[in-house]
Amino acid sequence: MLSRVADSVFWMARYMERTNGTLRLLRTNYISSQDEVQDFSWQPLLRSYSDASVEEIQAIGNDSPKVLEHLLLDRNNGASVFNNITRARENARAVQDHITKEVWQCLNDYYHLIRDKNIHVQVKQGDPVTALDSLIYHGMLYHGTVDITMARGEGFNYLNIGKFLERAILSADMLNIKLTELNYNLQQPVEVPALRYLLYSLSGYELYLKTHRGNFQADHVLQQVLYNDNFPHSVSYCLKQLFRYFERLESESLPESYKQLEFLIGRAMNNVKYSSIRLSDSEGLLNFLYQTRQELFGIAAAFNQYYFGNS
Amino acid sequence: MEGHSLLANYNVQPRVWDEMFGKDGIRPAYRNVVSAIQNLSSDEMTHKDELAKKLFMSQGITFTVYSSGEGIEKIFPFDIIPRILEAAEWKHIEEGIKQRLKALNIFLKDIYNQQFIIKDGIVPAKLIYSCPNFIRQMVNVEVPFDIYTHISGIDLIRDHDGTYYVLEDNLRTPSGVSYMLENRSITYRIFPDLLPKNNVRSVKDYPDLLLKNLVGLANRQKSDPTVVLLTPGIYNSAYFEHTTLARLMGIELVEGSDLVVDNHKVYMKTTTGLKQVDVIYRRVDDDFIDPLVFRPDSMLGVPGIYGAYRTGHVAIVNAMGNGVADDKAVYSYVPAMIRYYLNEEPILKNVPTYQLAIPENRKLVFENMDKMVIKKTNESGGYGMLIGSAATEEEMESFKEAIEEDPRSFIAQPIISLSSAPCYINGVLQPRRVDLRPYALYGPEGIDIVPGGLTRVALKEGSLVVNSSQGGGSKDTWVLG
Repeated sequence: MLSRVADSVFWMARYMERTNGTLRLLRTNYISSQDEVQDFSWQPLLRSYSDASVEEIQAIGNDSPKVLEHLLLDRNNGASVFNNITRARENARAVQDHITKEVWQCLNDYYHLIRDKNIHVQVKQGDPVTALDSLIYHGMLYHGTVDITMARGEGFNYLNIGKFLERAILSADMLNIKLTELNYNLQQPVEVPALRYLLYSLSGYELYLKTHRGNFQADHVLQQVLYNDNFPHSVSYCLKQLFRYFERLESESLPESYKQLEFLIGRAMNNVKYSSIRLSDSEGLLNFLYQTRQELFGIAAAFNQYYFGNS
Repeated sequence: MEGHSLLANYNVQPRVWDEMFGKDGIRPAYRNVVSAIQNLSSDEMTHKDELAKKLFMSQGITFTVYSSGEGIEKIFPFDIIPRILEAAEWKHIEEGIKQRLKALNIFLKDIYNQQFIIKDGIVPAKLIYSCPNFIRQMVNVEVPFDIYTHISGIDLIRDHDGTYYVLEDNLRTPSGVSYMLENRSITYRIFPDLLPKNNVRSVKDYPDLLLKNLVGLANRQKSDPTVVLLTPGIYNSAYFEHTTLARLMGIELVEGSDLVVDNHKVYMKTTTGLKQVDVIYRRVDDDFIDPLVFRPDSMLGVPGIYGAYRTGHVAIVNAMGNGVADDKAVYSYVPAMIRYYLNEEPILKNVPTYQLAIPENRKLVFENMDKMVIKKTNESGGYGMLIGSAATEEEMESFKEAIEEDPRSFIAQPIISLSSAPCYINGVLQPRRVDLRPYALYGPEGIDIVPGGLTRVALKEGSLVVNSSQGGGSKDTWVLG
């Protein structure tokens, strides 16, 4: 496979995963902005998902429709969902002959959907949840289309590597955002709504309820988001999947490239696996999340260098 | 035509050949189609029209127009009423194109080697050497199987008596073939059952024929040579076509930066290292293909690819330097080439062409400018063109000046009216002018032309310019079996 093609497939998957993550995060946050007027602030989210300056972010403030417009539809915000979908499609366009026609059409439709007037009207004046729901729904359509049409070849492996790498980064980031909201002070005895919203954003609330019925504790949330292998958004699960798809590349890799990446992914996996993070140690937690993120970025950089030919 | 609401307002212009209406009413080829659509309400027709647009949009059969920094997706306008050719008409066209291509190929081989045609005084040397597309680097280059024009699109038009004329031979990198394929796939969605009922010949063999020819050109003794399609990239207006063809043939779509040349061999950069490339179907123009030999500022090409081609390590399709054969001034010698090389009479006529480098011609043309089309020899896409009947005094004057300055770069042709075909526009069936571009594939085993082609339509009323860059659209083209 051409290095450029592998690169584009990888990034297409990352942008789509990021799109899905951002949309779900916006949905839960928007709902909580309507519900928890007292404590709610958009600022942590704006700081992570906008490339606007501090003054601009402060100007947007806590005005929910404005925030949504900026994070969803603003063309000038490099991290907006609009730009993520556009970039996913640009990448798909450059590799149209390596993804199926169905996947291409699905992404193309997605691009037309986010440019649709109705979505813009819903976000600005109507019910943003309707707009978010239809965007999230289309994202799921994409995942299904990939699953049932793409051949299980090299392209599919890069696609999944991109997807799980991005998902691991997103989970770590979202956890970090929520913990920052709480100033990493997790000794509060009362239940923390922020963590409940985190689980909503990661589609993990139902799993939590089934595992810990009627017992909402910050520690359990943390364990699920980091270590639960049955939870498809946990950092541990994502790394295992990443490694699984990476291993399939072995026969199609240069031995030294493979060795490099195998080491990096294996190290990140084990660092997560053999860590024992407890809420009481807020500094350790902060360092752990920082280190994990650095390792994930390191893996992306190594793919760029050893497999995509961009040194 | 009473009671036929759809046909009620269809007025054929005088002295224009209409593809659907003859002097005895609807021509036989169109009868089935007319009876299928004439009783449809305008709502139903409009619904079909909208369905076609939606299908193009959602399949991403679009080109991007960049304005104010943002890309806008446009579809190439498609008219839902097919253009229909009878079997006998097609046979005539097919034979004519094959004959013409044979002669043009021998011409290219000759002009880049011994130049018998110049020595025998058939074509003036000055005309060839003054042509900017005569590429000196191609002189004495051995080309696989002596084939230069692997893929060509010959533009045909019809005069008021229905005679076919060749308007242009596109021998460099003709585009539009993906629309021939896509238009067909849209037609069977909007008119179920109509294709089989009319015994329309299929065009779907095109990618297979092309791939067979490309594989046949590989020089290495290998059962599965590496064939790639070289595109200028996603910002090219024909990018959709490049991906479609690559997908349909199952070959890699590469950009210039994916290829490197080492020791006169071309390689592509893959995740497992370098892989040698045997055949390149390039959609990058001559000027841009190798910055070491042609334009040094080109970012689209591959440095050193010309050397690899010249040493025979890679086959490039179409050959470089074909522009000398489809130059608009050289065009007027094609009938003479057919007589000279093949000893045959041309089957398809040429449009009479005045070279303005000849003073008498210039005088004649200047006196009759309102009846002439004046074209720059080196441009295409409907640019650099003046249609005398529609031009203002000022435009004519500025063309005259330009011609006096550089007469070699202009030719003039009498205005040929172009035939009209029915189009469904704004809820009414109306005649619009059309041309026809069949695509011919020249491979080691001979010439194949898939029965069909691209019918281009001038969508503006009264317009004679069918180029997509000038507001033209296209139609599905049926050849009946």
